[in-house]
Amino acid sequence: MVIPGLRRLATGVFPIAALFILLLVSLYLMSAATQNSAEFGRLYFGLLLMNMLGLITLVTLIGINLIRLVRQYHNQVTGSRLTVRLVIMFALLAVAPVSVVYYFSLDFIQRGIDSWFDVKIEKALNDALELSRTSLDARKLDLLKQTEQMSRELSQIPNEQAAPTLNDLRNHGNAFELTLFTDNGHIIASSSADPSLIVPNLPGEAVLAQLKQGLNYVGIDPVRENELYIRAVVKIPESDPLAVTRLLQSLYPVSDRINILAESVQSSYDRYNELTVLRDPLKFSFTLTLSLVLLLTLLMAVLAAFFSARRFVAPIRVLAIGTRAVSAGDYGKRLPLHSNDELGYLVQSFNDMTQKIAQARDDAYRSQQQAEGERAYLRAVLGRLSSGVLTLDKRCIVRTANVAARQILGVDLKGCIGNPLEHISLDHPYLAHFVESIKGHLAGGRQEWREEIVIFSVGGRQVLMCGGAALPGASGRPAGHVIVFDDVTALVQAQRDAAWGEVARRLAHEIKNPLTPIQLSAERMRHKYLGLMDAKDAEVLDRATHTIVEQVEVLKEMVKAFSEYARSPHLKLLPLDLNTVIGEVLDLYRGDETTTEFDIHLASDLPRVEADSGRLRQLLHNLIKNAIEVSHHEGVCRIKVSTQYISDAGLEMIELRVEDNGPGIPDEILSHLFEPYVTTKTKGTGLGLAIVKKIVEEHGGVVWAENLPDNGAAITVRLPIALTIKKSVVSGELSSQKDNMSLRQTTARKDSSTRRRKA
Amino acid sequence: MNASSVLHDKVYYLNARIDYKLSDKVIDALQKGVPIVFKVEIEISRVRDYIWNETITDLRQRYQLEYHALTKQYIVHNINSGSRHSFPSLNVALSVLGTIVDLPIVDKNLLETGQQYNARIRAELDIDKLPVPLRLLAYLTSGWSLSSEWFLWSFQG
Repeated sequence: MVIPGLRRLATGVFPIAALFILLLVSLYLMSAATQNSAEFGRLYFGLLLMNMLGLITLVTLIGINLIRLVRQYHNQVTGSRLTVRLVIMFALLAVAPVSVVYYFSLDFIQRGIDSWFDVKIEKALNDALELSRTSLDARKLDLLKQTEQMSRELSQIPNEQAAPTLNDLRNHGNAFELTLFTDNGHIIASSSADPSLIVPNLPGEAVLAQLKQGLNYVGIDPVRENELYIRAVVKIPESDPLAVTRLLQSLYPVSDRINILAESVQSSYDRYNELTVLRDPLKFSFTLTLSLVLLLTLLMAVLAAFFSARRFVAPIRVLAIGTRAVSAGDYGKRLPLHSNDELGYLVQSFNDMTQKIAQARDDAYRSQQQAEGERAYLRAVLGRLSSGVLTLDKRCIVRTANVAARQILGVDLKGCIGNPLEHISLDHPYLAHFVESIKGHLAGGRQEWREEIVIFSVGGRQVLMCGGAALPGASGRPAGHVIVFDDVTALVQAQRDAAWGEVARRLAHEIKNPLTPIQLSAERMRHKYLGLMDAKDAEVLDRATHTIVEQVEVLKEMVKAFSEYARSPHLKLLPLDLNTVIGEVLDLYRGDETTTEFDIHLASDLPRVEADSGRLRQLLHNLIKNAIEVSHHEGVCRIKVSTQYISDAGLEMIELRVEDNGPGIPDEILSHLFEPYVTTKTKGTGLGLAIVKKIVEEHGGVVWAENLPDNGAAITVRLPIALTIKKSVVSGELSSQKDNMSLRQTTARKDSSTRRRKA
Repeated sequence: MNASSVLHDKVYYLNARIDYKLSDKVIDALQKGVPIVFKVEIEISRVRDYIWNETITDLRQRYQLEYHALTKQYIVHNINSGSRHSFPSLNVALSVLGTIVDLPIVDKNLLETGQQYNARIRAELDIDKLPVPLRLLAYLTSGWSLSSEWFLWSFQG
């Protein structure tokens, strides 16, 4: 409570102003007291004390302010440096002129007081005093003689008759008072001009002592104030030496004129002499008063310097703090408005500025939020699109690419964003055709285009349906291009598979019906006419009918295969052990060890897989038969069958791999290998691997073929373990395609890695 | 300094002898016409056993001493009574100033008979009566504060 009160006292304007006025008044009174004014004379010390206390208060206040300022300066409070400079400047501005005035005033006081004293004046006063004395001395001698004359007259008169004689003598000699008394001070008779005076004024003991030595006395006594009397005391000559010594004292008034003049000389002399005594004290008190005035002025000036500096700096300080806040990013800062001068205007402008900045920032923030929202929205939309989307700017630099684009192209497009379109094909040469096609369209300058582009990626042949459109930009010129592409490989494949299935079904239906009558007719013909013919004809007939029956049988087989391919599966899914199925199937192929060697690597930890055992057996038959057939003419055919459990990116799969030591698959048919009637063999329906693919897809798996490094080829089948298999063929195909997408990714990457190793 | 009180005609009178010794500064100022005022304080108090003494009377006598340059006389002026006496030398003036004869101080009626009374006397130069400029210096410098100790005596009421 005390400290804030003190601070308010130290910083408030009104207490200080009141103190200043009080001190000024007391100084004025003190100055008046110094001028010897009787009224204030008594107050002098009180005033002096008050001024001292006032000055101490001022010094304390200045001290408080100074300490505060120094502390602020050390703490680097905003505006403190400017305040210090202003305080120093103001203080100097105040101190310098006041000091000059003080110096000269002091000089004037010293000289002024000194100038009162002059040797000539002193001498003149002494002379005047001496003159007065001399003139009085002459009169004194006259009167002494007159008194001596009177004493002689009285010497003959006895004491009893002295009074009337004294009266006569007094009247005659114009004396004020005549007194006859003994030398021990006993009054005998007295006569006075003033009847009110009963007791005569007797001389002092010193005078009596002088008379006892026989010397008459004459002197001037200031008997009454401002009234001089000449006192003459003489011894009355006695004829009788034994008689009591009698003395006569006469008092003569000095004439009024002389009295006044003498008194004037006396008082002037006194006054002058008094001043010589007071010379130094006067100088001292004038100097003291002047110093007090100066100190008061100085201290007030310094205090005023603190005040004005603080007041002056306050808005600047506020501005500095505000500016710092703004530079730190706080635009919500509003500065208090103190004055309506230029600084106030500055503060007002600052407030307006920060308000506008804050508004602009908020607007920018809002629009940014909006833009980001739209961007997130677009990203979500693009991310969920199954179509790949690429956007390019005017200079063909990739701006954005969605997830689908990455999946379709099999390229991590993140690294390509911000780079020219060609950058995509640098690491992936198989995309060069894709890039070239797009660039061709862009160069063509058409607003919209569509084209089917075929690329040969690691995953095999891919058919991409590409579409492009110019992005609208400022002033009607295209700001870039958007390219949308879909991987239609699977779709095309599915269409092709469906077409083949339809062909097979029709073929089977159309061909199967006439085959049995043909066969039956041929056999009937043979039964009926074989016995009737001669041996030569019978042999021809027998061969012909045999051929017919045989070929019909072959045709039946073919039709059966076709219908097998076209048949809608009714899968009976049961959990089964793949290794057991493999073992049972392989048993059928054993026995001819000279031509076929089996190399079997079955993983022991294979989990059960849900599959239709009949379809699975057919798949194995087809694969092994195919492997034996392709490597048959190579002498001993070595077939390696292996199974493996694969867990990749959350997908649990069983891998079945069948390798042969045949001539391998020509590159041109590698990607069409699983389509019907794609074969390198001279015999067979050409449906074997097509059916394999069909069965794998029915089970939600994936199959691919690849050439081995040395010779031979490998066909790999991957079947998912946990899978909900679609019952219908069409939906099953579609879903398996969708799943294949991710599987193909992994395989594609695997292949590219093996290829790189090969290189 | 010594002092005594005598009872005469139901009034106690004070007889005292004060030996004034002036410093050179004071004598110099006096001879240059500065009037010097001496203050004589007399106090009479009743002795009480357990609490402080009761002040019966408090007398103040002022004497002004000044030098009359024209007649080369020293004038002693009793401010209380108004009487003036002039003396040709300072020593005579001071001895007259220091002799207090038969100054009535207290009426016997005011005092209780048989009671013990204490009296004390002190003399000092009254600085407050000096001219104002001299006063400050007189307070601050030595040679001006001339003051005697209290002289104490007691008497029976």
